[in-house]
Amino acid sequence: MTQDILAADEAMQDDLNGHFLTFYLDQTCYGIELSHVIEIVSVQPITPVPSLPPYIKGLINLRGKVVPVIDVRLKFGQPERPYDDKTCIIVVMIEEMQIGLIVDLVVEVVAIGENQQGTPPELGRQGERYLSSIAKVDSRVILNIDCQKFFQSDLLGF
Amino acid sequence: MAIDPSMEPMLETFIYESNTLLDQLDEILLESEKSKSLTGDQINEIFRIMHTIKGSSAMMEFTGISTLAHAVEDVFFLLREQPDRLSKVSEALFDVMFQASDFLKGEIESVENSGEAAEDPREMIAELERLAAIMRGETPADAGTPADEKAAPADPAGTPSGDAAALPCRIRVYFEDGCQMENIRAFMLLSQLRDLCDGLESIPAHPESDASLCQEIIKNGFVILCKPSSSLDDLLRVIEGSVNVKTYEVLEDDTGHPAASNPPAETPDVPASPAPASAPAAAPTAAAAPAASGSPASGPVKAKQSLVSVNQAKLDQLMDLVGELVTTESMVVGNTDLRGLHLDNFYKSARELRKLTDELQDIVMSMRMVPLSGLFQRMNRIVRDMCKKLDKHVDLITEGGDTEVDKTINEAIADPFMHMVRNAMDHAIESPEERLAMGKPEHGRITISAKNIGGEIVIAIADDGRGLDTDAIFKKARENGILTKPESEYSDREIFGLIMLPGFSTNKEVTEYSGRGVGMDVVRKNVEKVGGTISIDSRRGKGTTFTIKIPLTLAIVDGMELSVGDSIFTLPITSIKQSFKIDEDKQVIYDTDGTEMIMLRGECFPLIRLHQLFGMPTAVTELQDGIVIQIESGDKVACIFADELLGEQQVVVKPFPAFFNKYELKRLGLSGCSILGDGSISLILDANNLLNR
Repeated sequence: MTQDILAADEAMQDDLNGHFLTFYLDQTCYGIELSHVIEIVSVQPITPVPSLPPYIKGLINLRGKVVPVIDVRLKFGQPERPYDDKTCIIVVMIEEMQIGLIVDLVVEVVAIGENQQGTPPELGRQGERYLSSIAKVDSRVILNIDCQKFFQSDLLGF
Repeated sequence: MAIDPSMEPMLETFIYESNTLLDQLDEILLESEKSKSLTGDQINEIFRIMHTIKGSSAMMEFTGISTLAHAVEDVFFLLREQPDRLSKVSEALFDVMFQASDFLKGEIESVENSGEAAEDPREMIAELERLAAIMRGETPADAGTPADEKAAPADPAGTPSGDAAALPCRIRVYFEDGCQMENIRAFMLLSQLRDLCDGLESIPAHPESDASLCQEIIKNGFVILCKPSSSLDDLLRVIEGSVNVKTYEVLEDDTGHPAASNPPAETPDVPASPAPASAPAAAPTAAAAPAASGSPASGPVKAKQSLVSVNQAKLDQLMDLVGELVTTESMVVGNTDLRGLHLDNFYKSARELRKLTDELQDIVMSMRMVPLSGLFQRMNRIVRDMCKKLDKHVDLITEGGDTEVDKTINEAIADPFMHMVRNAMDHAIESPEERLAMGKPEHGRITISAKNIGGEIVIAIADDGRGLDTDAIFKKARENGILTKPESEYSDREIFGLIMLPGFSTNKEVTEYSGRGVGMDVVRKNVEKVGGTISIDSRRGKGTTFTIKIPLTLAIVDGMELSVGDSIFTLPITSIKQSFKIDEDKQVIYDTDGTEMIMLRGECFPLIRLHQLFGMPTAVTELQDGIVIQIESGDKVACIFADELLGEQQVVVKPFPAFFNKYELKRLGLSGCSILGDGSISLILDANNLLNR
């Protein structure tokens, strides 16, 4: 029976593969692999925690679970912006940890085929070294974030 | 071989531990036999299980158990060195391992019932030694004929060829079609039934010994001959409950008056062949033990467990629930909707509720807390025994035995403790002559101390022996190829850390007590499993100190809420001495570095401004506007400055998400966070770290 469940799980993984949740920072559209995403919540009161880098905004209470939140704008070296009613927190699961990502606006889930993705140019610029690929869907350009790379510097030291 | 009365309290632990370990062993064996191979992890695990059983049973003076465990350990030691040796003996090894596991279980059970273990595992040991020899390649590989030799060793669990009259019940069991390994399943079933029977036999006998019996069992079914201890129904229920049993039928049931027709003396339970090791005086007791097994009250030493083992996960869940309950209670009682209302009856009921939740919480916590004294006492015993055997003089000094720790922690550090004390005895402390020659007191000293410091349990094991030899450690590390960078780059601390890597041991000789390099890596693994850290400090010729720090994982603390700007901090009430307002400036003085200090009744205390320390913006920066709280930890006292006191609340301590690990918030004075009644998060201050920054 366990095998059935595993198989079902795998099938679900397959379903999620190639799907990206897209969100905006300013006018730029980013994508994040859907398999990492747990849920999307609206901005809630954030408890600041001292001595953390500025992009880690603090902690939120997600139904009794304490989850750290990261402002993606700051992480990408972009200017901070006051949160409004469009601002969202995308809760992702990385290495069995839940982490919240604060973004300007969440748009939709899109399926991006392998052939639509291109490798990002090696510019060495701040935000781009976190990218896994750049995709073009319809007329939109989506910068896909590589979660591993994105959190690499934070996960070091475990 | 009656049990030393001083050991009685430990007997229960021994039984419980051994049973748990044997269960693990069976699981591994079954799994590995199925795949017909042993992974490196499995070999290590079996090795460790046997190592622990060996140690603890030797301590309890169950010689049979410990010698058998030693023999098994030897075999797996060889396997660990060269896993491919398994192919030389595979089938035979599994068989004898099952036998050994069964024998150990039987022995532990008889210890449980009668307080002694009297059987002799010699045949099994001989078989194990034979296998070990084959693996070493000493004997011509006669692994092809183990089946014949296996017939020779008597059945360990003691099913003698009793006459049919003693075994009045015959049950035929059929297993599900295609479930495979029928012989092993039959064997497992027998083991399960053994608890419930005064006598047990089967056709075919020893189903586990030969895989070819499968066909027979499939065809004719597996016939169990037995004499139930209580009722046949109990037995049938077990059979029904077993996996893969398709059908069963009771062929004969002559249990009219079993007690009358079968005088206890003839009850063929444990073969009345007391081990040669047992003292002659004990022989009558050994013979009486099987007879007593039917009527428990007459057993010589009763160690029947009055404990219920509860799944740890359930306890955790209970703990979480109580935590939620406490939070919810605060949420209800402190609800903002109630503000300004006079609700005498409501608050009366609320107080009742608070009393109950307090009590509930105390009980749940106490369920999981055990003092370390039991563990310390075991060390006493080890030191005593080893002193005798090794001819050394060592005094064991224990401090803080009444420190209570969570059960999981206690269990996790029991093994490491034993290893460390043994290592200290065996390797660290020199012989009396050597000590005198070095100008040390003849008596060596091992100090074990436990302290509860600011949410952490700090356990130190210190000896005044020869200290760690860094050159020898390097040499060994080089041989084992575990060095990862140039030798000159290793700090002392890192060198000491090498001894905690798997497979490291500087002692060439394998002794009963230590020296196979399982010690320190088990220690580290177990300590890390409960989120602790271990550090080693050693000085050549002076001694070694192992310091284990383990966080108190679960805790509900009575906290005082303080606000600083928009943030809320929780300060454990236990660390608060007093709080006061400062009305005049002259109370504040500055030292030469400009550190602020507060003068209180002629004494000076440093002042820590939380908003400065944590860089939190706040409108309250004048001392007169805020509140000063005097805190203490250990012998240190300081004052902290916050905006205002918000009130007292019980909070559940949650560790920071692992994501924050690298920022070392603990060192800054924050031990975790908690969710308050209104859903907001507060940061918990840790007085110890605040004072020792």
